[in-house]
Amino acid sequence: MSFVGRRLLQLIPVAVGCTIVVFFLIHLIPGDPARTILGIHATPQRIALLHKQWGLDRSLAAQYWLFLDRLLHFNLGTSLIYGTGTSTLIWQRLPVTLWLIVYATVLAVVISVPLAMIAATRQNAMRDQAVRAVPLIGLGMPPFWVAFLLIYFFGIKLHWFPVGGYGQGFFGHLRSMFLPALVVAIALSPVVIRSLRASMLNVLGADFITTAKSKGVGGPRLFWRHVLRNAVIPAVTVLSINIGFLIGGTVVVEQVFALPGVGQLMLNSIFQRDFPVVQGVTLAFAILVVLVNLLADMAYAALDPRVSFDR
Amino acid sequence: MTNRTTALKALTAAGALVVLAACGSSGGSGGTTSGGSTSGGSTSAGTPVHGGKLTFAAVQDAQSMNKSTVFDNNSIWIFEQIFQQLYTVSADGKSVVPQLATGYKVSSDKKTYTFTLRPGVKFSNGQPMTSKDVKFSIDQTTKASQGWGFINTAIKSTSAPSPDTFVVHLKYPWAPLLADLSIFANGIIPDNYAGKSETAFYNAPIGTGPFKWDVWHKGQSLTLVKNPLYWQKGLPYLDSITWTDVSSDNTRQQQLQGGQAQIDQFPAWSTVTQLQNTQGVNMHLFNSTQTNYLAFNETRKPFQDVHVRRAISLALNRDALVKAVLFGHGKPANSLFPPQVPYYDPNTPGYQFNLAEAKKEMAQSSVPHGFSTSIVIPTGNSDYQTISTIVQSELKPLGINVKINQLDPNTENTQTQNLNYDMTLTLWTMDISDPDELATFAVDPKSGAKSFFTMYNNPAVVNAAHAAERTLDTEKRQQLYNTLQTGAAKDAFMAFLYYSPYPYATTTNVHGFFVTPLGNMHMENVWLSK
Repeated sequence: MSFVGRRLLQLIPVAVGCTIVVFFLIHLIPGDPARTILGIHATPQRIALLHKQWGLDRSLAAQYWLFLDRLLHFNLGTSLIYGTGTSTLIWQRLPVTLWLIVYATVLAVVISVPLAMIAATRQNAMRDQAVRAVPLIGLGMPPFWVAFLLIYFFGIKLHWFPVGGYGQGFFGHLRSMFLPALVVAIALSPVVIRSLRASMLNVLGADFITTAKSKGVGGPRLFWRHVLRNAVIPAVTVLSINIGFLIGGTVVVEQVFALPGVGQLMLNSIFQRDFPVVQGVTLAFAILVVLVNLLADMAYAALDPRVSFDR
Repeated sequence: MTNRTTALKALTAAGALVVLAACGSSGGSGGTTSGGSTSGGSTSAGTPVHGGKLTFAAVQDAQSMNKSTVFDNNSIWIFEQIFQQLYTVSADGKSVVPQLATGYKVSSDKKTYTFTLRPGVKFSNGQPMTSKDVKFSIDQTTKASQGWGFINTAIKSTSAPSPDTFVVHLKYPWAPLLADLSIFANGIIPDNYAGKSETAFYNAPIGTGPFKWDVWHKGQSLTLVKNPLYWQKGLPYLDSITWTDVSSDNTRQQQLQGGQAQIDQFPAWSTVTQLQNTQGVNMHLFNSTQTNYLAFNETRKPFQDVHVRRAISLALNRDALVKAVLFGHGKPANSLFPPQVPYYDPNTPGYQFNLAEAKKEMAQSSVPHGFSTSIVIPTGNSDYQTISTIVQSELKPLGINVKINQLDPNTENTQTQNLNYDMTLTLWTMDISDPDELATFAVDPKSGAKSFFTMYNNPAVVNAAHAAERTLDTEKRQQLYNTLQTGAAKDAFMAFLYYSPYPYATTTNVHGFFVTPLGNMHMENVWLSK
């Protein structure tokens, strides 16, 4: 079986494992979706009626079995709070989070690669020190603070970007998602810059670079074909690990920019004890993280001919 | 094919798929805006202008449009634009005015009400409203025992003798009937859900109201559009309203200032004064029926001791609370009832700050040297955090050591309702323009709410609450509710903390926006000037 096929098959035990853990965790902590709906008007009778309606009066094992059974028919159940299908909710939110993550990654790369190059080509000079120190501010500042600053200057004062929201249409999204993506990129970049800079320094001192230069290769061709391609692999690792955290870690940015993303969906459904949605979103996260790691591995193979995954 | 080529192709394909998935999003939007100039300018109201789209930045998304089972305010305030009732709450929140009914006659035994329905009313799907629809709507709510069924508890049966007459047969004389019929849960929908299932109906609800259903992108925005068949001629003014889900206070405010939203729901109290002085913004503080309380669990010692409860109530400086939490935009509470409710007694002797008296009460109590206790509050509520910190410091002089426990909201709800707490913070806003719902909820230990989850039991007060339901004599009701309010105040079963208004910030081009003390908004009266 091909490498990709084998890795995709790995998805199944990972996903099932995640759902078991989350299922039991969310059911065992105190709290109840009936209370989310009834609020101050909750009485034991009303709670019991809702439980019966939702099948929550059955044993945990019976409920998990029902969940698995539905899953095998590609049915993620119905949100207890909204009454709509869980998969519908997730499908509507996924594009927003994907936009955020992909856009942020692109911006992080656009920021990091030139800066790392500037730093690495003049090691320990002023510009190297600056590139190493300044981005750390981005790492230290809380994302919601960075977000409000950006909104204030670019949204309210300059009117270049809207204040929050997802926008309509491709170019609407491009415009609305720029500031949120930038906030995430500012947090991602410092780590990527440092990693890239370190590996570039490594590569710049290598024998094959001297050989290439002696052959007359210089300038951009040297940079793109020889330096960057060799230096980027550790950075891909760093980036892919961080993206894994991002899937779900975008909650704060989603809140501040009023983005209807999956992170928000997860947070709200946990607070509301919307069990089917919590389980469905966990499954989606597990699948996404495995896919991101797969993409990273494929990127290694694409970049480095020494990497072979055919066993 | 080499590994690298395979990998490259697969990678490109994956990349393309991601981009496609992201582009192919369900076209939702953060709401369209128009006319939102924030550069101050026009002040005079002038004649209403027809047209325009309004964006209403709300604190959270709605849950469901099912008027019979939903308790969540954000849902209610939206579907109140779609569904209407026989009567609706008056602007001062103290009575009801005719809406889908034009009048009524009551039998001499006070148990049969005959309502005349307004002629010429149509649902937004074109079908005319008749008594059959009214009967169906009210009966559906009566049957909703997991929802608002309790509000119709006094109704024995209903009938629709002719298309424009609707009859309610009561089990006993019931003073709050009109107020109960004016609650959103008794909104009028088409008979038999217009042939759809209940779920399908509420996914695209149909009513007689000024706005009709457009689209709901859950967690993002909900849009209603003008109902061209609306029975009030010339209304509504707006073409559409979009409620957006913007949970961050700061973002809502920035959207208002950036012109992306015209109404900002519940700005933070700390920003109210600043918004009052901002050009282009009207900062409204509407009278509300919201009252905040500190509740004592009487099944736990020493809260069964009235002297302890009085002492605590006397030790709390409500002016300090209003200043710290509401930044001055509120006032101390003296009664279980808020001033906007009928039969509120301004002379109710709810305890106010008096440390000397507090110490005297403690001296007479079962724990004169103080005791250790706790207060449980939900996380994510900064107002409650401030209140509990102040309570903690103000009870120290009495020797009472208070530990503050923060629990996630759902867990906190479970614990307090299972009487698994010492003290907690709670609040109430009226759902109807009659004190009955609050009275029975708060003082009757046998009601589902166990006396607001305190198990407070004063038979004289409980009897007053029930007697006031059964008499239609307004003077008698006032006396009974005075007895109730005074008894509840003297027993200090809860410390009445403060009354606060509903804060809404709007851009200055929004006119006609008004919120009743019960929280209802008649968006058909709202218009946007250019």
